[in-house]
Amino acid sequence: MLLFRDEEHIDRWCAQWHQPRGAILSLEAGWRLAQAWHGPDRRDPEWRRRTVEETESLFASLNLLGDFWRLR
Amino acid sequence: MTDAEIRAQIYDQFLHSGIAPSSLEIGDDEALKRLADGRVIVLDDAGEILMAPPFSAVPTPFLVFTANLRAFGNCIWDALGIAAMTKSDAVIAASCGDCGASMHVDVANGAVDGSGLIHFAIPARLWWQNIVFT
Repeated sequence: MLLFRDEEHIDRWCAQWHQPRGAILSLEAGWRLAQAWHGPDRRDPEWRRRTVEETESLFASLNLLGDFWRLR
Repeated sequence: MTDAEIRAQIYDQFLHSGIAPSSLEIGDDEALKRLADGRVIVLDDAGEILMAPPFSAVPTPFLVFTANLRAFGNCIWDALGIAAMTKSDAVIAASCGDCGASMHVDVANGAVDGSGLIHFAIPARLWWQNIVFT
């Protein structure tokens, strides 16, 4: 996940790397996702990776919807 | 040590120094492999830690500064993740993925400030097929 100055720079990167345009998030949306995803302390013995269902639920709670965010 | 204790050791070192412990320091290659198989960490071809998300063991264009830490994120999401994990104000020194222009993102008092857009190139279900490119 890279940071770009604007959409024109994203499109140029996609063309160079032969990648379709993916999902574009504002910094605020990325920050909300980062807090939800990376907030839990991974040093905690009880920490574990989220299940597919939990991850889908997390994406949905942040309004990350549609085929791009689908996990199965 | 249990795998959970080794995971804690890895993250403890990243959170205190910004760098990964070596496999020699860990002293349990099988446990590292199990953690990698479980997609908790990513190992390089030599069996050393390459990523323990959100931390990168190698320099990247996503350098995060907090009051007590200087560490590299694997991507902009992970750079923000280091700020989230440390629950501290942070400055992220990054660059545009296209033109390389220097970009700064600030996290202060639980809010983010800066310019730019985050592009997720790979659909979520395919992230782990090539996690380094992702």
